Amino acid sequence: MDVVSQLQKQFIDFSSSLYREGYVDDQFSQLHKLQDESSPDFVVEVASLFFDDAEKLINSMARALEQPCVDFKQVDSHVHQLKGSSSSIGALRVKNVCIAFRSFCDAQNREGCMRCLQQVSHEYTMLKSKLQTLFRMEQQILAAGGSVPLE
Amino acid sequence: MATPLTLKRVFESICISSGIAGSWRSRRAPRSRRMIQKDAADQQQGDEFQHAAARCLSSYYSVFVARLAIMIMLAILIGLLTVLTWHFTRVYTTKSLDTLAYGLRYELLQRPLLRMWNIVNSTAEITAAQVKLSEYVIKRYNKPATQAEQIQLYEVMRDVTWAMFASRKALNAITINYKNGFVQAFHRDHRSNNTFYIYSDLSNYSIGTSGPYDSNLISSREGWNDQSIKGNISAIWYREPLDPITGEKIGKASPIPPDDLINIAGISQVPDGVASWHVAVSKFTNSPLLSAALPVWDPTTSNKSIVAVVGVTTALSSVGQLMKELVEVHSGHIYLTSQEGYLLATSTNAPLLTNSSTGPNLVKAVDSDNPVIQMGAQWLQSEYGSKVPPGHVIHVQNAKLGHKQYYMDTFFLNLKRLPIVGVIIIPREYIMGKADERAYKTLIILISASVCILVIGCICILILTNGVSKEMKLRAELISHLDARRKAEASNNYKSQFLANMSHELRTPMAAIIGLLEILKSDDQLTNEQYSTVCQIKKSSYALLRLLNRILDLSKVESGKMELENTEFDLQKELEELVDMFSVQCSNHNVETVLDLSDNIPRNVRGDPGRVFQIFSNLINNSIKFTSSGHIIIRGWCENLDTSKNTAEFPTDRKKFGRAFRTKLKQQANNAMNFREDNKLALCFEVDDTGCGIDQSKWETVFESFEQGDPSTTRKHGGTGLGLSIVRTLVNKMGGEIKVVKKNSPGTLMQLYLLLGASSESKQIYDADFPNTVVVLATVGSMERMIISQWLRKKKVSTLETSEWHGLTQILRELLDPISPVSSNGFDAPYSSREPLKAEMTNIKALIDPVYVVVIDIALLDLSSDLWREQLNSLDIFHRKAMFAWVVNHQTTSPIKTELSREGQNIVVTKPLYKGKMIQLLETAVRGKILGMQNRISSTTNEGNGEEIRGSIANYSASKHQKFRKCSFEFSSICPGESSSRREDLIHTMFRERHQIGSSRRDQPCSSSNSSSNQKRILEGLRILLAEDTPLIQIVACKILEKVGATVSVVPDGLQAVEALNRMLAAESSRRRSLLQGSPSETPDTPRFDLILMDCQMPKMDGYEATIEIRKSESEHGARNIPIVALTAHAMNADEKKCLGVGMNAYLTKPIDSERMVSTILRLTKNMPSEATGTTR
Repeated sequence: MDVVSQLQKQFIDFSSSLYREGYVDDQFSQLHKLQDESSPDFVVEVASLFFDDAEKLINSMARALEQPCVDFKQVDSHVHQLKGSSSSIGALRVKNVCIAFRSFCDAQNREGCMRCLQQVSHEYTMLKSKLQTLFRMEQQILAAGGSVPLE
Repeated sequence: MATPLTLKRVFESICISSGIAGSWRSRRAPRSRRMIQKDAADQQQGDEFQHAAARCLSSYYSVFVARLAIMIMLAILIGLLTVLTWHFTRVYTTKSLDTLAYGLRYELLQRPLLRMWNIVNSTAEITAAQVKLSEYVIKRYNKPATQAEQIQLYEVMRDVTWAMFASRKALNAITINYKNGFVQAFHRDHRSNNTFYIYSDLSNYSIGTSGPYDSNLISSREGWNDQSIKGNISAIWYREPLDPITGEKIGKASPIPPDDLINIAGISQVPDGVASWHVAVSKFTNSPLLSAALPVWDPTTSNKSIVAVVGVTTALSSVGQLMKELVEVHSGHIYLTSQEGYLLATSTNAPLLTNSSTGPNLVKAVDSDNPVIQMGAQWLQSEYGSKVPPGHVIHVQNAKLGHKQYYMDTFFLNLKRLPIVGVIIIPREYIMGKADERAYKTLIILISASVCILVIGCICILILTNGVSKEMKLRAELISHLDARRKAEASNNYKSQFLANMSHELRTPMAAIIGLLEILKSDDQLTNEQYSTVCQIKKSSYALLRLLNRILDLSKVESGKMELENTEFDLQKELEELVDMFSVQCSNHNVETVLDLSDNIPRNVRGDPGRVFQIFSNLINNSIKFTSSGHIIIRGWCENLDTSKNTAEFPTDRKKFGRAFRTKLKQQANNAMNFREDNKLALCFEVDDTGCGIDQSKWETVFESFEQGDPSTTRKHGGTGLGLSIVRTLVNKMGGEIKVVKKNSPGTLMQLYLLLGASSESKQIYDADFPNTVVVLATVGSMERMIISQWLRKKKVSTLETSEWHGLTQILRELLDPISPVSSNGFDAPYSSREPLKAEMTNIKALIDPVYVVVIDIALLDLSSDLWREQLNSLDIFHRKAMFAWVVNHQTTSPIKTELSREGQNIVVTKPLYKGKMIQLLETAVRGKILGMQNRISSTTNEGNGEEIRGSIANYSASKHQKFRKCSFEFSSICPGESSSRREDLIHTMFRERHQIGSSRRDQPCSSSNSSSNQKRILEGLRILLAEDTPLIQIVACKILEKVGATVSVVPDGLQAVEALNRMLAAESSRRRSLLQGSPSETPDTPRFDLILMDCQMPKMDGYEATIEIRKSESEHGARNIPIVALTAHAMNADEKKCLGVGMNAYLTKPIDSERMVSTILRLTKNMPSEATGTTR
């Protein structure tokens, strides 16, 4: 029990740090609320879906930006998609970079786009590692027989 | 707000550069508030000007250069013309004149030369003739032996010679010099016109001397020289004057020195026996003489010997005379010289000879006294010098002698031994004078004409190009204006982009705040206090969010781009909400906020609820700001345009207002004939406060931006002065008007009217009557109480008023405790004067079993001590007979509240008591009474019922009651036949709706979802089509929707959504057809959707297109429009417009807010006459 409460405390600390540092926002907690007995791994599923999706999008964006003649419209639609999915999952920082990214796309600023792409992939990796840690902690708690505390 | 300021500045700068700003600014200048703005504008303007100036300068230069070039070209053209004209006229005349002149000169010179030639010829002829005659005479008298013979010879010779001499008048002299030295000569002096005969002394030439004559015939040739004659000094010469015509001697011969008068040709002149010429000079003539000499040969002897020499002298003065005559006719100078340069004749009177010691000598032309001749000769010499051209022919056209120009021509007459050169000098003036003068004049005229043309041309060019330059200037200005406008537009774009981004950025943290509040609210461990605080925070957060959206609108208002919504809304509800909101603020200020709406205001009107809310919130806010004590009343009524009977009911000031505006409204109605057809309502409002008021001079200006009644208000009360300007803009936009009106009491009275659309189902709500009801109003706010009681009385509800605890107890005792004898006289002492009260009292007494409602302000209790408990307890006895409603304010502490709600029959309402709440109270009371009776009859679940009432009423927060009331009525009507569990359900529903009411957003659904199990399956049975391409959002949305019980079908793009819909529509139409045919064959395999959630940006076909397609096919099938909700990450209002524009019904922004989504879906599906929704309700 002691272990569980400690784990729970760690979990809460960690997740609140995620909120505090802006990795995720309210939407993420909304996702947690949607998770129930019928779909116990809902959040993890969604997150992994997001990761796959984002990775694909980032790759295609990078490809599009490497072209000698950049199709900004295409990049923009990718960014828009990424923004939509990131806002849905509550990935605040990724979303914010996406907003900046879109403005660069509108301005057809290739360098700005490249910068944003790097930022996006950076934020994405950060978020991925953070969320993976979070999920691991969740599993640890579950494995220890505790329940995941709602933040 | 920086937005209007920037706009204004841009506008100003545009205006200034276009020049109209002068007047505009000067009109505005006196307003001190604009100074800062103006400075900024000035600076910008300065830049603008510099820019424009640079442009203008460059264009000016280009124009200048073009102008200069054209002028120079013109000048060159005209100059060329002039020169050519001048040249042609001059050169041809000059040439022809020159030719003429040449002929003239030639002619002129030829004549003296001819004369000369004549003279020479005649001289030669005469000489020859004389010689022949002499020979003849000498032959006749050959060998004169005697003196007499000799004399006879001489006599004959004399006669012959005279004949010759007389025949030639031009001759100067004829001399015969005999071998023996005797000389005979005739001389004619042309000056004195005398003729003389000159002969030598005969005695000297005696016969004796003839001897040597013979002997020395040949040898003496050498000795016979001039010396013999001249040196013969011993000889005596005689001269006799003769009659020039007859030759008769007319005077005595007088001796003269020999050789003094004339040149006697001697033998020396004819050394070789041929004729010789020379020019001689004599003392007696001032002109040179041409003398010719010929020897006379002895005809008798075979060997040649000269017996005499004949000399003829002709004066050249006749040539000079001729030349003079010629020159007189023409002009100029002519002179003849010998080859050596000695002057022979001139056309002038200058002496041709000089007297020197050796006698007269010929003058050289270069030494002539006449300056012209001298200069001409000198010029010739200097010009040609030694190398005289062959034939001495020189034609010089413009020899400059002195200061004049001359023509000079020379001709050469080659006489043997006397070559003569003739020179003619004619001043150029003479021949070319006129021509030159003409040419000069022509030149001057030409030049002056061309100068004139040039000047005129230049002026023309200047005038012409001036237009061009003006146009260019204008164009440059236009360009700069366009530039400025583009900049302004760009900055405007940036601004809206910035706002859009900002709103987006701000919405995110706001969403976080609201989300966190949701979480906090869902915490079960919150106390009621905390819960309400959190609710309040959430409310504020939503208000803040609303404000953020308003900021976007504000810029639109300012730029005039704002468009009003036209939706149906509950005006009264909006206003009540507003008053509730502000009452919190007011209660701190000790200000009453009273809402006084007339009953004729329809519940639902069409318009823009947000804007109406904004108008009133601004106005009330304004009033609160300036009101420190007293009240703020919001009055409102519907103005009937055609009926004026209602006005009788209004108070006097309202009537006035009515008059003021009604005329305007009627005008409008006349202007817009379809006023009625538009179904517009004119709603009039007054906002009346007891604040510091506005000075009458400021009544108009307060509505301008950045204007405040008093500059010091900013210091005291803050604010930007934008509020009222926005209000006026909005009111005007709604076709209304706002103004400040005179008021008798202190404070401000604002009047406005709005034109709002009448709702299609506008029904008067407040027609419910409450007979048999008695209301006791015990409240502190006198205004509020007065208005409520007035309204109640109008509703035929007996009303008793009091403002203190003591009065209340008196009334209560009187009313509810009729048995008590004390109370009958209780009014005597303090209330004796209140006759109306007493009358009211007796009226009430007449009622049978009335419902008593006692409204007590919490402020009536003595809260400073514990006395209030006593006071409350004292009321306990009345609980059975009357219903007590407690008006609490926000400061009321929870122990009091709990104490108040302790008793089941107590209702608690929050402070601003208005009609809506009053109706609520009355209805509750009446229903309670009915319920009570029913309970008594059915005696079923009385306990639960009581609980319900208490529970619902105790938590009765200060807001909306309509739904609650509806539910209550519903409840009471179905109550008898329903089971208790069903009622339980309803109670929960009521709770949910209470929450819904509690949150300020109308669409806000239940927030405490976890607490209520009913809410969970709220969308049970609904089939929703989700068109979304992002799998993540698909999952999330599905989850959310499934969680509340909806069935979700997912399609990845718009195309498939359209297809799905088409399938459904086809199925439905076939079903309907089959139904019509009477064979109900179900097609269950095609799901029917109740709603579509449509992502806006999707591959293949985006949400907008898909919606358009769906709407099109729906109209084709004649089917009902399925609700479509847009899901988009764009949060701008324009996107919402676009969504709604293509036919979508609602608009949700990502991230998906589950509550909003559910509530939107509910709203869209609940009023559907669909079977699917019917099952849940």
